[in-house]
Formats: sequence, C-alpha cells, structure tokens
Amino acid sequence: MINTVRKMLGRDREFMVLVATTLVVTAILYVLLGDRLFSLGGVQSMSIQVSEFGFLALAMGLAILTGGIDLSIVAAAGLAGVMASLVMSGLIIPVTDDNQGMLFVLGIVVALVTGLITGLLNGIIIAKLSVPPILATLGTGILFQGIGMALTSGNSVSIKVVAFSQIATLAIGPAPLVFVLLAITFVIVGFILKKTRFGRRVYLFGENEVALRFSGDRSERTIILTYALIGLLVGLAAIVIIARANSMRVGFGQSYLLQAILVVVLAGFNPFGGRGRIISLAFALVLLQVLSTSMTAFEVSPYAKNLVWGGMLLLVMALIHFVRKGRKVGAKPQDFSGGTTPPTGSFPALRSARVKTSSMGVRS
Amino acid sequence: MKRSPFVRLFNRPLTSMEKMLLGIIILYIAIVTIKSPQFFSLSTFFDLFRSGSGFLILALGALIVFISGGIDVSFAAIAIVSGYSSVLLSIALEIDNLLFIVFVSIVIGVLLGSINALLIYFYNLPTLIVTLGTASVFHGAMAILLGMKTFTRTDVPKSMLDFGSAQLFSFEVDGARVGLTVMAPVVVAVIVITWFLLYRTRIGRSVFAVGSNAESASRIGMSILFTRLFVYTYVGGLSGLVGIIYFSNLAYINPAAFVGTELPVIAAVVIGGTKLSGGEGTIFGTILGVLLWQLFQNTLIRLGFTASFNDLFFGAALVAILGFIYYRQRQANKRALVFSTN
Repeated sequence: MINTVRKMLGRDREFMVLVATTLVVTAILYVLLGDRLFSLGGVQSMSIQVSEFGFLALAMGLAILTGGIDLSIVAAAGLAGVMASLVMSGLIIPVTDDNQGMLFVLGIVVALVTGLITGLLNGIIIAKLSVPPILATLGTGILFQGIGMALTSGNSVSIKVVAFSQIATLAIGPAPLVFVLLAITFVIVGFILKKTRFGRRVYLFGENEVALRFSGDRSERTIILTYALIGLLVGLAAIVIIARANSMRVGFGQSYLLQAILVVVLAGFNPFGGRGRIISLAFALVLLQVLSTSMTAFEVSPYAKNLVWGGMLLLVMALIHFVRKGRKVGAKPQDFSGGTTPPTGSFPALRSARVKTSSMGVRS
Repeated sequence: MKRSPFVRLFNRPLTSMEKMLLGIIILYIAIVTIKSPQFFSLSTFFDLFRSGSGFLILALGALIVFISGGIDVSFAAIAIVSGYSSVLLSIALEIDNLLFIVFVSIVIGVLLGSINALLIYFYNLPTLIVTLGTASVFHGAMAILLGMKTFTRTDVPKSMLDFGSAQLFSFEVDGARVGLTVMAPVVVAVIVITWFLLYRTRIGRSVFAVGSNAESASRIGMSILFTRLFVYTYVGGLSGLVGIIYFSNLAYINPAAFVGTELPVIAAVVIGGTKLSGGEGTIFGTILGVLLWQLFQNTLIRLGFTASFNDLFFGAALVAILGFIYYRQRQANKRALVFSTN
C-alpha cells in the first residue's frame, strides 16, 4: 500500500511538491488561525466558494491542455448566468406559484445550453477557421460580454424563483451540494482524460497537433468537443454563481481569469499544452482557496490579494522552469513564434536545438 | 505610371486587410452620415482625436509587441502605475511642471517594461501569462505602497489640467468653439517615431526578424535579449506617456481606472491585420483598427443604439474579421502544404 503510494508520487515530482506545499501551508495557517478558519462551518463555506471557481479552473485547465487558452470563460459564465437569471427573473415569463418548479429546471437548462453554445462557437472558430485560441477567445469574450450588456444594459438581474438559491445552501451530510457536484465533475473529467480515446487525443493535440493530424485523427473534432466541454463547465459555474448571489450582473468575477490561469499553472500544467493532471488541479485549487480565505481572515485588501496571485503566478512559473531545466525531461520543444526565447548561452541556437532533440527522445 | 500617395509615402501598396478595413470604415461613416448628417464635421473629427489619442499610442506599443512575436496585457497597468506614481511625486515635491511629470512617468514605465522583458527572456514562458502576472503585481504593489487615493480637479497639478484642456488652435463653428487638442501632435510624433524605429533602423529590423523566427534571428547574430528589452521598454515608455495623457484628459486621477482597457487595445491591433505569430503587422492597419473601435464607441448612439451595445458590435466585428483573416491563411496553408499552424 505505502509502496504503491510512493511509486505513484515518485513518478511525478511536481505533484509531490504541490501536495507537500498544500499540506504545509494548510498546517501553518491552522496554527495561525485555528478554529477561525478550520471549524466545520469555515470549511463548509470554503467548499462552497471553491465550487464557484473550481468549474472555471477546470475549464481553463482543459483549454491549456490542448495548447490553447480560453480568455472568454468569465464572460461566457456571465452570459450564461444572465440568460438563466432572465428566465427566472419574471421579466420574460411571470413567476407564479405553479410554474416555479418548471422555471427552476428551465433556468438550469438555459445556463447549460448557453454555456454549451459559447463553447461550441469557440471550438468551431478555433478548429474550422484556424484562429489562434488566444485571439478567438479574446474576440468571443468581448462578444459574449457585449450580448450580456445589450440584454441587461449593465443592470443586475435578480432571480425570483425562491427555491433556486437553495442550490448553494443544500448539503448532503456535512458536504455542500455544489461541492459534491464539483467533486463528481472532477472525477468525470479526470476519467475522460485518462481513460477514453478522446482524452488521449486532447493530450496528443496539446503535445503535437501536426503529428495528431498526420496519424489520421480528426483533430478538429477533438478541439470542438474540448471547447464544448469547456462550455458545459462554464454553464455549471454560472449556475453556482447565480445560486450564490441570487442575481447576475455583467462583469461579475473579472479576477477569476487571472486566478484560473494561476491555478492551472500551479498544478504543473505545461502552458504550451500536452501536460497536466486533474488531481494536481484539485490540490492546487484547495491550496488557492485556503490561501484566499485566510487572506480574507487577515483582512487583506483585494488589491493586495491580486498582488499575491500575480506574484505567485510568476514565482511558480520560475520554479517549474528551474525544476524542468534541471531534469531536462518534459521540456517541450520551444515554440519560438509563440513569443518565447531560446535558452541563454554562448550559442543559444545550438543549445536550443540540443534541448529540442533530447526532449523528443525522452518523452514517453 | 501614376502611384497613389500612400505608395509614394510608404513604398508599399495597401495590404488586403487594410483595404477591407478602409472599406468597412468608409461604409460605416456613410451610413452614420446618412442617419445623422451633423456627424460628418470637423468637430467630430477633433473629438475622435481627443478620445482616441491615448488608445492609439497604446495600440502602437501593442503592435510592436505583436510584431516581436509576443502579446502584452500589462500595458494598461503600467500606464496607471507610472502615471499615478509620477503625479504623487510631483505633488509631494511640489514640482508642477508637465515635462517633469511626463519624464518621471516614462522612466517608471521603462523600468516596469524592462522587468517584463527580463522575465520573458529568462523564463521562456508564454508572454501572455507572464504579463498577466506582472500586471497584477505592478498594480497591487502600487496599491499597497502608494495607496489608492483619488484626486479631484482641485488637487490635480495645474500643468496637467492645462495640458488636458489646451488646444492647438480653435475656431467658431455655428456658435460653438471647436479646437484640435494638443494631444494631436503628440500622437503624430509617436506614430512617426514608431514608424521610423520599425522600418528605418537596425533594431526595427531585428524586431521583425525575432518575431518571424527567433532561431534564425539569433543565428545571424541578432541579440534576442536586446530586442526584447527594446520592445518591452518601448511599450513601457509609451504606457507611461499615456498614463499622464489619460489623467490630464480626465482632470481626475483614479488609480483604479483604466484596468481592463488592454483587451480592446489588443483587439484593435488584431483587427488591423496583425498576426499573433509575429513578424507581421502594419502601423496603418493599427490606426484603422483603432479608428473602427473609436467609431463604434462614439457613434453607435447616432444610429439609435445605447452605449450598452458597444461591446456587442465591436465583438461581432472582431470575431468576423478574425475568422476571415485566419480562414484565408488556412486555405493558403492548405495549398502550400504548410501543416504547422505557427
């Protein structure tokens, strides 16, 4: 038993570092804050907060696995939330006692479908028109926000279906419902990535898109499906967001974009794609949430929080850079056109060529 | 053979993207003019110059980063941080001199830009993620070190107020005073300097070379470190300048403002036909992209849409144009049997 655990951890040193960091940070904060943070109620409220953001982080993780990035997730979640809130606000269909249950279901369906459509749109633009993901999602992000803005004029839309906010408060035993939902989603997505053909293709695409195409695979379909899945996750995030706030406003949660990228990088995902594990993402998420909640407990201002997130992002990337450089394993061939530079040295070009070949040889 | 003035001046024909944008803009202006004839006037033109000056300068900075093969999302944060610190310094030292304020702001911008350049050079990471991180570090550090106090008109240094309201010349049209802001020559100067640096100097050539293929550029002896330093310090310096222009224009200093402007700026540059993969992009295209954004921002209201529709129209135009540009490249790649998307 211990041996299998050791074998599992030994294979992935970054994962071990992450788990150790999470445990140490949590332990230190427990000593400092004690029951203020780690009472049953405290943990419960943390797990509700993490659910809102967890779906978005998972969505970003999928995009980065394919070697892309999704800058539109927050705007798409905003749009899905606005659509669902509009349905349940009584502005379109008046809310009566009889149709509450129907509207409840309709709201959830609308959020999921809107999310799915945003994801499909991204996927089609990226796969069929070959627009780079950064630019495609930058454009659709502005578009989604624009649609939300045009629908609401920037006003907050509040939900009149009484039962809806219970999604955020209901609990299964001690665990909040939304947290259970998040955990199940993580397991499902992890299973899809690890065990299905589609999952292998997602990794392969991130690793070497051209090789995947030449191996006779319909790589375009993989991309469309991946972004559709991202869209569904965004729809789920929207449901949790509107259930918690009981209303929705365009522009909500802008800081989530930075945090989502941070969590994914923290989890050891290769920002050029092809590398990353869902279980690491779960640990990184816990770490980030514990830090975030303790900063709130210490009354740190939002700007200082942002400073910490940004600083952590740079620090973690630097650390991972040195860890990988030391091992020379898993260093991805350099994507020069993506705005990176070859390694320094007296003969930078020669050295980078060497790194390129060695990494290709060692990769499993 | 008769050559158009554009060809004579820049020694190249318009790119197809520029032609398309020009067509769209002329069509749009025609529609707006038919809907509300008073739109087509000198005062509208001057207004566009005034509201678009800072935006255009930032877009030129973003263009250079794009050409060098990167993408920078920290320039809005740099603009605010350098502008705000410089104003605080001038108030603290009681030096109410515009040149001093602008100089300090540009120096701070250059320093912050060089931090970006070094991080990108040494860690070999996607520029988007690096600059996303530095943007929040810069802004957060400013908030902690300097506070987030806002200054209203009475506290803003007088030289900045004068700069914000000064006009190059003005005249009466139908009883209303119309004038061209002093930002106009600043913008023109920045355009000329950027054009000169990009097309008439060695460093400009190396920006293009590093953007299209860093490996080849370094093999023929171009310093990648130096090129990156130039690119990001230039953007930083421009952002510092924009910080002061922005505060002067508003006559109100709010260190929480301006964040989030980077996305429309990048979008405007991309609409101008700039490629994400580096080595490609034109100044004229960028100017057209900014013009389109400014037109949507300022004139949709004349077509009967409220301001809430701005993002919708701009986003739709952006997605359509992106799809058009890259689909055409995809077809070309297919014909040429190019399989790598880079």
